Amino acid sequence: MSSATLYSVSFALVHDVLFALGRAVGGPVGAALRNSGLITGLALLVFAGILLIASLLNTIVLIWYERKLLGRFMDRRGAMHVGYAGLLQNFADGLKLFRKNTVRPREADGLGFYFGPTAYVVTSIVIFGVLPISSGWNAGALPLTLLLALTIFSFAPLFIFVSAWSSNNKYSLMGGLRSAAQMIAYEVPLLLAVVAVVVVAGSFDLTTIVYEQQNYWFWGPLVVALIVFVAAMLAEMERIPFDLPEAEAELVEGWNTEYGGMLFAFFMLADYLRALVGSILVVLLFLGGWTLPTWVPSAATSFPLAGILWFMVKTYIVFGLFVWVRASLPRVRTDQLLRVGWNRMIPLALLSVFLAAALVTVRCVPVFGCVPSLGG
Amino acid sequence: MSEMWINMGPQHPMTHGLWNLRVRLDGELILDVDPEMGYLHRGIEKISEDRHYNEVITLMDRCCYVAGMAWEHLYILGAERALHVTPPERAEYLRVLCDEFQRLGSHLMWYAAFVQDLGLMSPFLYGMRDRDLVLDLFQSYTGARMTYEYMRVGGVRNDLPPGFTQQARKVLDWLTDRFREYDQLCLGSTIFRKRCDGLGVLKGPDAVRNGVTGPMLRAAGVKRDLRKDRPYAAYDRLEFDVALADGADVTARYLVRMEEMRQSVRLLRQVLDWLDGHPGPVVADRLPRWLGAPYAPVGAEGYLLKRQYPKGVGFAAVEEPHGEALAYVVNEGGEHPYRVKFRSPVFANLSAARTYLVGYHVADIPPIMGSVDVCVGEVDR
Amino acid sequence: MTGPEAETATEKPGDHPIAFVARPMATAARQFAKSLLRPSTIVYPYERLEDPRFRAEVAVAAGKPIGVGPVWDNYRGVHALNIATCISCNLCAFSCPDLCIEMVTVPGGDPKHPKKCPQIDYGKCSYCGFCSDACPEGCLTMTTRYELATPKRAEMIYSPQKLLEVFEQKLPMNPIRLERPENEDAVLLDPPLCIGCNACARDCPTQCITMLDVPRPDAKAGAKLPKRIWKEPVVNDSDCVRCGTCISVCPKECLFWGARP
Repeated sequence: MSSATLYSVSFALVHDVLFALGRAVGGPVGAALRNSGLITGLALLVFAGILLIASLLNTIVLIWYERKLLGRFMDRRGAMHVGYAGLLQNFADGLKLFRKNTVRPREADGLGFYFGPTAYVVTSIVIFGVLPISSGWNAGALPLTLLLALTIFSFAPLFIFVSAWSSNNKYSLMGGLRSAAQMIAYEVPLLLAVVAVVVVAGSFDLTTIVYEQQNYWFWGPLVVALIVFVAAMLAEMERIPFDLPEAEAELVEGWNTEYGGMLFAFFMLADYLRALVGSILVVLLFLGGWTLPTWVPSAATSFPLAGILWFMVKTYIVFGLFVWVRASLPRVRTDQLLRVGWNRMIPLALLSVFLAAALVTVRCVPVFGCVPSLGG
Repeated sequence: MSEMWINMGPQHPMTHGLWNLRVRLDGELILDVDPEMGYLHRGIEKISEDRHYNEVITLMDRCCYVAGMAWEHLYILGAERALHVTPPERAEYLRVLCDEFQRLGSHLMWYAAFVQDLGLMSPFLYGMRDRDLVLDLFQSYTGARMTYEYMRVGGVRNDLPPGFTQQARKVLDWLTDRFREYDQLCLGSTIFRKRCDGLGVLKGPDAVRNGVTGPMLRAAGVKRDLRKDRPYAAYDRLEFDVALADGADVTARYLVRMEEMRQSVRLLRQVLDWLDGHPGPVVADRLPRWLGAPYAPVGAEGYLLKRQYPKGVGFAAVEEPHGEALAYVVNEGGEHPYRVKFRSPVFANLSAARTYLVGYHVADIPPIMGSVDVCVGEVDR
Repeated sequence: MTGPEAETATEKPGDHPIAFVARPMATAARQFAKSLLRPSTIVYPYERLEDPRFRAEVAVAAGKPIGVGPVWDNYRGVHALNIATCISCNLCAFSCPDLCIEMVTVPGGDPKHPKKCPQIDYGKCSYCGFCSDACPEGCLTMTTRYELATPKRAEMIYSPQKLLEVFEQKLPMNPIRLERPENEDAVLLDPPLCIGCNACARDCPTQCITMLDVPRPDAKAGAKLPKRIWKEPVVNDSDCVRCGTCISVCPKECLFWGARP
């Protein structure tokens, strides 16, 4: 475990500032400033602010990364002009969207029209609060972080449907319906694949799951669960080949057809936030999180923030795989998607749960080694 | 959900142009479609009546923006028959060269747009990149990349630049390699097959009844290719096979177009060999005197008053990349055509939309319409 | 479900689905590796298609057959006008299908018969090249210049002076020259109608028309001689550029196009 976590740093910062202030002011006000509840609350706020900025920055860099990767897949260059190799292009795009006027169609329902994208982006950011990015990163020691993350993750179809329906556009409505059907269909295999991991790790706590992978990463023995998880995650993230809710060929832009300006930016942002969450979950559940295999020399893991660095590297590689899929596969049709979801994915996920149970029973796998003693 | 009409177009990513597909839906199921054309009507036929025979060529390039050369050829054939002009043999081979390169360019463009409709992103760029090579070749001898203005009544504007044939052969080699890549990306993809097999079925009799022509007709197993059935230019002296498939669905159309591109490469190799060995004039030496100059002489009234020229009617049929295009040119002895009439293959192919769209899903519309290869410029003219 | 059964998609026996997802992904990955160093894009404002250097770079990196051969000279871009050799024959303006060429007076030359040169409105021009094909002196040609964007519409109109500036930049020019066909029409005269007014000879841009004396017929008793100057135009056919100026200025319509004698 690294000595200083983000929360402890922000706590120490707030603590020192408030104590200095309280001592300077003195009296009952000073005593009130030194109240531990206030310090904890403020520290949490600072922590949340840093988290927000970090996640947004990461998302924007992620978009740049996708554009560059896609460019090479397509024999072109991607963003080029703004900043070094177009690194600032998305900031410029965001700024442009921010300055734009938001147009609401006259017949659209005002409340839903504004509530949908806002709630969508807020819930997407909230997930980051429970994802451990390095040891001791998460705010509170919740025993069920994985469940909490997936629960917040699955709010999305509701908000998408609200915004699609309130846009009062046929394309939006069809996109919203597709989105809802797709996300609900793929919730099930997603959770079943997670169950396989939980069975092996013996805990719903993401930090624990990562530490349970110190002998071997779970992707090896749980490869079926990994495939199901990645496929379901692609559907949940609405990326090609499962991006039919916003299939631009037939539905213009799907459920965000009527959105422009900052509200569109919210959707875009939330989509990539969810893509980032998806990649992070793959890394946490199957690829050992921020840890490296034991045969890696300790110099690679002992410098400060090494955990975060390796975590980010893994996340970006996983996202690169998603981009690769996007570059080479066409989009499927709704009925095919749902048929694959219910007829193939769920049996596969059940199989993976069965395999996980078998693994726990057998305890030792020839190639990968032994399962650590069950925690939790 | 109750039934509803949606307007796919005139501004819609599926349309690839400016037309409107009205669709009646029950959920995602298509109950009825109603294609509406006419948003891009520019009155090309009427404008042609006010232009000198050679000046109409500039309009033909704008008639179809991906197959300008084929339309030039179509009009020129009609005008030549109306004016009783015979082009020299080298010009005929050069026209086949233009036609087949245009077919390659158009089919590559179709490939790019079609896979884009399916959500495949990289092949779109591959198709456009490889089409660029064809455009480079066009530019090297016509001077433009899309609006060529290359053919003239009685021949073509100029001969090939030195070194053209070698470069063209290199491009053909490169393209042949790429076709294999395209097949890997499309036919080699399970999702592609699942999206395209058995989709948009238009059987042979239906196709014939609706006047559907071109790759759509050949994908239904009907062996009909004007290059074989009514040879024009130098096609009767060249060897090639008519691309056929029997699935009558989107995959079959894909296969037909891919095979047509391979046949085009085969044709082009023969044409390039012939052109290397047979130098000669590219414009007929016996033109109507007032057509001799490449420009419109002044004093039109003077012409009509003082001289009588032979009248004539020209009918031409050309297998352009989208299907069978027909032209009818009436020469009443003036220096402008009296009447010009074109038949656009895509217009017929689109008008039959009800026969191959009803019963499928909304998500199937882009691949099916993509397999039709819509070029609205020639639909509305 | 009505209509044709939409769900007949079947895999061919022996086509394994996983392999079928892997094949396109492998193709994309191969392209990724190939374009990692130098994608096919030519980054336009910094690199230019007409610069053989960049075409060759892309060609080498991607194994593409471009960047070979004299590709660029043919390009039909902005016109270049050599005012010095322009004979004001009007042919470019007449041949323009878009009517974007207007003949405007340029400074210099005889004040009575001012020299007129083409002014081109690029807002209308379709770059068909008919004008440069028609130019008998080769003074109006098309160059490889293609950048015309401007915020003002008036700047799209290129005066002869501006076209001369393009000419002086010595850009590669369209090398194609059309040969004049052998059976071209010639300017013919309908002698009884001619009044010998000299308009054709005066306005001929190549001065290939000379007015020659014609014998004045003897006035017979009672018959009135036509009121005219006793001269007739004779066209030097080898110098004639077929611009038709003489025909259009003839007040009596006695000149016309016809088969060369």
